[in-house]
Amino acid sequence: MSNILTIKNWKNYAMRIFTLLLLFCGFNQLMYSQNQQNTITINYSNINRIEVLKKIETASSFKFYFQDEWIDKNILISGNFENTNIQDVLSKVFADTELNFFIDKNKIILTKNSVIYDKVSTTKNSNAPVFFQQYDSLQKKQPGSLPSVALIGKEAVDSDIDFYTLSGHITDLKNQKPLADIRVKVKNTDITAVTNAEGFYSLKIPTGLSTIEVESILYNNASRKIMIYSNGTLDFTIIEKINQLDEVVVKGKNSQNVRTAITGVTTIEAEGVKTIPLVLGERDILKVALTIPGIKTAGEGSSGFNVRGGKEDQNLMLLDNGTIYNPSHLFGFFSAINPYTINKVDIYKGGIPPEYGGRLSSVFDIVSKNGNTEKFSGEGGIGPVTSNLTASIPIVKEKSSLLVAGRATYSDWILKAIDDENLKNSKASFYDLYAKYTHKINKNNSIEGSGYFSKDNYNITPDSLFTYSNRLISLKWKHSFNEKNNSELNFTNSEYKYSINYSPVNPESFTMKYRINETQGHLKFNSQLGQNHKFVYGITSKLYKINPGELTPGSNSLVDPIQIEQEKGLESAAFFSENYKITEKLLLDVGARYSIYAALGESNQKIYEDGVPKTPSTVVEEKHYNNNEVIKTYSGFEPRVGLRYIFDESLFVKAGFDKNYQYIHLLTNNTTQSPTDTWKLSDINVEPQSGIQYSLGIFKKLDYKDLEISIEGYYKTSKNILDYKVGSQILLNQDLETELLQGDGKAYGIEFLLKKSYGRLNGWIGYTYSRSFIKLDSQFNDEKVNNGDYFPTNFDKPHDVSIVLNYKFTKRYSFSSNFVYQTGRPITYPIGKYYYNGAEYTLYSDRNKFRIPDYYRLDVGLNIEGNHKIKKLAHSFWNISIYNLLGRNNPYSIFFVTQNGEIKAYKTSIFAVPIPTITYNFKF
Amino acid sequence: MKKIMLFRVLLTLLLTSIFGCTTPYSYQANEFEDLIVVEATLTNQYKYQTIKISRTYTLEESTPKFEKGAIVYVTDNQGNRYDYKEDNNQYLSTSQFQAVTGRDYQLHILTKEGKTYISTTEKMPQETQIDNLEAHAVTKNGNLGVEITVNSTDPTNSSKYYRYEYDETYKVIAPLWYYKEAVIINNKIQLVDRTKEARVCYLAQSSNELLLTNTSKLSEDKVTNFPVRFINSDDIIIRNRYSILVKQYVQNLAAQTYYETLQSISNSGSILSQTQPGFFYGNLTAVDNPNEKVIGFFNVSTYSEKRLFFNFTDIFPRIPSPPYPYECPVPVPEDQADQFIFYSFSQPAAIELLKSGTKVYYPTDGPSFILYDIQCGDCNSYASNIKPSFWID
Repeated sequence: MSNILTIKNWKNYAMRIFTLLLLFCGFNQLMYSQNQQNTITINYSNINRIEVLKKIETASSFKFYFQDEWIDKNILISGNFENTNIQDVLSKVFADTELNFFIDKNKIILTKNSVIYDKVSTTKNSNAPVFFQQYDSLQKKQPGSLPSVALIGKEAVDSDIDFYTLSGHITDLKNQKPLADIRVKVKNTDITAVTNAEGFYSLKIPTGLSTIEVESILYNNASRKIMIYSNGTLDFTIIEKINQLDEVVVKGKNSQNVRTAITGVTTIEAEGVKTIPLVLGERDILKVALTIPGIKTAGEGSSGFNVRGGKEDQNLMLLDNGTIYNPSHLFGFFSAINPYTINKVDIYKGGIPPEYGGRLSSVFDIVSKNGNTEKFSGEGGIGPVTSNLTASIPIVKEKSSLLVAGRATYSDWILKAIDDENLKNSKASFYDLYAKYTHKINKNNSIEGSGYFSKDNYNITPDSLFTYSNRLISLKWKHSFNEKNNSELNFTNSEYKYSINYSPVNPESFTMKYRINETQGHLKFNSQLGQNHKFVYGITSKLYKINPGELTPGSNSLVDPIQIEQEKGLESAAFFSENYKITEKLLLDVGARYSIYAALGESNQKIYEDGVPKTPSTVVEEKHYNNNEVIKTYSGFEPRVGLRYIFDESLFVKAGFDKNYQYIHLLTNNTTQSPTDTWKLSDINVEPQSGIQYSLGIFKKLDYKDLEISIEGYYKTSKNILDYKVGSQILLNQDLETELLQGDGKAYGIEFLLKKSYGRLNGWIGYTYSRSFIKLDSQFNDEKVNNGDYFPTNFDKPHDVSIVLNYKFTKRYSFSSNFVYQTGRPITYPIGKYYYNGAEYTLYSDRNKFRIPDYYRLDVGLNIEGNHKIKKLAHSFWNISIYNLLGRNNPYSIFFVTQNGEIKAYKTSIFAVPIPTITYNFKF
Repeated sequence: MKKIMLFRVLLTLLLTSIFGCTTPYSYQANEFEDLIVVEATLTNQYKYQTIKISRTYTLEESTPKFEKGAIVYVTDNQGNRYDYKEDNNQYLSTSQFQAVTGRDYQLHILTKEGKTYISTTEKMPQETQIDNLEAHAVTKNGNLGVEITVNSTDPTNSSKYYRYEYDETYKVIAPLWYYKEAVIINNKIQLVDRTKEARVCYLAQSSNELLLTNTSKLSEDKVTNFPVRFINSDDIIIRNRYSILVKQYVQNLAAQTYYETLQSISNSGSILSQTQPGFFYGNLTAVDNPNEKVIGFFNVSTYSEKRLFFNFTDIFPRIPSPPYPYECPVPVPEDQADQFIFYSFSQPAAIELLKSGTKVYYPTDGPSFILYDIQCGDCNSYASNIKPSFWID
């Protein structure tokens, strides 16, 4: 594929439009004749090119502009064209030369790549308008040949302006998607710019000759020599670095990290994760997130994340801006999003940009890939548990495309094929589907729509069947008003539901159902004001509907039906943020979000007696609210401030302050997040959570071997964090609020990251020391936990080490390894018994007083890339990996069972033995 | 083929490790906490009041340790002090007394180690009498049985929180009782008249579950048909005549909450979700170390009781009564005749069986006799022949 480079002059562009209008308005005849002129009939043999051009000039009305010395008069060519388009003729004529041409009505301007112009006036007839379009192929270029020079603008004869503005648009060659965060730089100067979300950049450059460089980790670098004469544009189309195994791209937003003032930002590029050895050979972008300092999981096989000491429910998981409530398959062993459809994941664990809100700890913004508008292509993987296939289909060439992807397990038939009685009756299967349609209507408008569905079925005991599914629809319209102002209108709807079908032989069968549905509208504007101000502002609104639980007895069942009434809430917010470059070194990112939440009817809300604990015994009244009647409103002002200061090229610091409100809570009695947890909205009895984070980071590039080091620290406080009373039962509880406690949280930590992004040996080493506490205090004993003191949360794991290393032996073979160590999570143990009121009771320790054994695991993988022949059907890639090489018996859960009056402890582990897997991936 | 086999073995290994790796785990909870457990209910019943004080015990032990040698007393805000003394693994007040409305009571314990524990001051709640008890045949969870319900009304609308206990007593009748019993005299079986009641006996048991209800949501403070006990129709305790004494304690909210928590932690949870485990506090504290955990609650409550009798046929006139809990076959099955039927009063096997005290004599029409299990003919073997003083036939 070639790089396409387009250079235009705005003035001329405008003129051309004017001309075109004229043509349409009454000069049809002229247009016709012009068309006629575009084809010529010419016949020449063994003459030099200058003679050929003269021949063309006589045979048509075209006039050539060029320098004689560009053309080697000793080379003689022959040709014969019959009513051939002038373009084709000239292509033939200038084949195997360094000359390019441009046709402007009847003028044909020649340029020579290898010549460095010192003045545009060296072309003949320089006062004629220069409208320049040049096709250049960097890839075809022979090694050692000089880059071509682009001429920007028209030379004003007596110009005394020293600087001109060069702006342009950078797009991905494959899908024409504008590329954000691409660094554009003037070589050997400090003049740099980064493309905005719409792919536009703007530079002020001195008149004369400059080299513009485009740099990106994901894309091949490009550079262009230019000669600037006036304000103009220079667009780049760049190629993704595909099929390159030498990099695992998990970057602390390398370029963006410096660019933004937001702390704690990490981007994971999907393409980079494929070499990291993972469980059952599944490429999993969210699992890679767990190797980043500050992001932890409550246990192997747990679907939740704990970001910087926050609860599992404090993460906003977005796919194409829609919320995914349970982003995991099979108890959390796999993430529910097909890795082949992901472009990248931006993780905000520190400062959360004001456009996002509603969760305290983090935002995982998963951005899907766009389909290929050029040609049919695809990717797939065959592993021992799942297989997947992604296909990209162009619909309207260069305008629209459809990306479809599917993934499914075949574990079900494997289980059935196995002779083991226990396994034969087990069931565990899942699939997910994804489709995305993108359409570029014109330069300023594009639309995209995507849909996602995932479903899981599994059973733990033979008589129960668990099913859960995620569904998401997202529609987006992007509109650019001009290159500095654009907008995005987005509608999403997402739904998560689960059901438990329990059908034992005895008359206790039932079906339990839970559902949450969310509809969101989001309008966002991006504006750039001058060089130093960027604004993002907009409004968003979300309607939640929850069916908290419905229990239906099975046939002949004697179970009483239970139906917990629907919850409804509307969360709206207005947001504004400004990115203000105070000086070249000091960048301020300041913004705020004002959120307002209303719990809506129809509902019956219990009113509890004042000044006493909420228990089923203290209900004084049940208030009825009609449909859409406001039950209770909460609101919050959420300032978000980030500051960046660059000391020198290799050292910069960032500081941040953030406040967030959260109106929805996850209820889970299990220590780890499980698919049967339920989300609950704030209402008259449950207040919203809020949190404040202070963060500070130092980033340093070391001179030695491209090493980068960063140290980030944070301190967080939070309010109204949900926890549970001793003895609480969450599911299908009609007096749920009586089981809930709301307390203060406190978390702090320091995160170290040493990273080497390039080279034969690359990877990163992360270490985090962090603590997370909660305090549940009250004047009432039954609302007090651990005497009302701060105690470690379920996910408090002070030490966390992760090492990801890759070593590339040759172009085709590389080795990768992944090591994880974590302090065991806290647990409440039974420590004794006591006798009370004629019965024996278990005495439990203080909440979370003990810890389960430490967790560690080493995975290794060997990656073999298919041969590098250019002509082949598909590009293939093998991954052989061993998960848990050391065979460490890491506990997943520890539970207690009373057997014959004796309490016994059991430990469940998931992968206690090394698990080898082979996966075959292909791309076409 | 070989490859496929290998694949399958690998997968089996893999899936087994996913789905079936649960192993016993010896956890390091060596921090056993030796805590004091106080179970104290002071009522308005004029009697010798009791307090139970024990210690927590380790998971391996099976019985609690009684806390001996403590000085225990209750004070009220009028300067009265009621002392308790150790008596048969509990503390009994030295004199009879009752809680009185309007006074604040406080429990004091001084252990022999010198630790002092006090309760918060507690007031006696409103006194409310049980209106009546009812027994009805109902079907619950598919089982036919008898449900005993309680009704109570507090016109002052202030009782609100109720806890129930019950004592049940039931009559047992030995089905193969014979007015004479076989005794061994000179290595020979002889029949003598029974000297004590052996046909009709009584058994008693107490509730050990927590029965709680409240009327706070209701406009009237009225307990209506609260089910205190459900007995399956085939349960032997209602085979003959049955009596239940229902005790109603009106208590305050804190006590109610304590018992509710105790109730919920004793459920380990359901298939759907686990119960949150943990330590929870009562209303007692250690004076010297407020952080020391104390289990239990000093509960001052008002007391009311009511008794109910019924016969099986009163409730279930049309179904057969539950079978006798011991096997007493009549007639003796032929293939088991050897084990039951004997022909001579000097037969050594019969003498040995009677000597062991596990068999009882029963005559036949002929010269032979039957030796049944002792429970068939002598109810003293598992019950008491003393008729309770409250018993009304």
